[in-house]
Amino acid sequence: MSTLNVSNISDGTTTVGTGYVVNGSAKTWVYWDGTGTLAIRDSFNTSSVTDLGTGNYRVDVASEFQAAPGHLGFGSIVGFCASGATNTTSNYYVAQWNSSGTLTDGSRMNGAAFGDLA
Amino acid sequence: MTHGHLWDRLAKAKSRLAPVQSKYRVLFENPAEPDAPASVLVPDPNWMAAALAGDILPPIDTYLRDRDVPDGQPKEHPYAEPIGAMTEEEAIEYLIQKDIPPQVWRDYQGNRSVLKIVPVELIPTDRSFRNAWKINQEMEMAA
Repeated sequence: MSTLNVSNISDGTTTVGTGYVVNGSAKTWVYWDGTGTLAIRDSFNTSSVTDLGTGNYRVDVASEFQAAPGHLGFGSIVGFCASGATNTTSNYYVAQWNSSGTLTDGSRMNGAAFGDLA
Repeated sequence: MTHGHLWDRLAKAKSRLAPVQSKYRVLFENPAEPDAPASVLVPDPNWMAAALAGDILPPIDTYLRDRDVPDGQPKEHPYAEPIGAMTEEEAIEYLIQKDIPPQVWRDYQGNRSVLKIVPVELIPTDRSFRNAWKINQEMEMAA
């Protein structure tokens, strides 16, 4: 594999530091169907998704973080653990509520986490 | 060090290996949360492909030792020498140790079965009463 050692990336008009690209990239992500029997559709750097109950999930990562990710990014869902558990360097929680405030399963569940890898 | 970082190996693996949907799920109940419904662990298909291919994942021992490493300190598993190919059953056992709390698979001494590996067909598809699921104590262990 070849390595490009550059400080900035430019399209000719806009220039951005490579540090923003590296630090701003999701280090792990996953997309799954939580209805019926949970099925993982696609992912990167995820080892498993655990179905904890209706609308409540835990995602474990393969290459862990240096510190527990405090800020998580999500696609179509709200990201908190329904039981109050906290993220660690090796896993994070995802939960989804409907408009009535009831935990509910979703067919397009997403999770992603950012931060420094261990 | 020729094997590099685990994250880089996983990135290369995703580009060259087809995902493998496991035929197993792991049911477990955490004794520390007796009121919680049974949990169902689903192996990630890309992770399973890496486990079956070999030379990508680190030894499970490195993850277990890293549990005691404080946040911000260097961890062992990203740079550990990768292990060889596993069978699907070995990969499931690896995943149990990695992703399920030790109080379930190592420390529990009660009479209930709190951990079972089952074929995916045994997981109910009707989730109407999902929050009431408990492990059937009469069910045979899949092997």
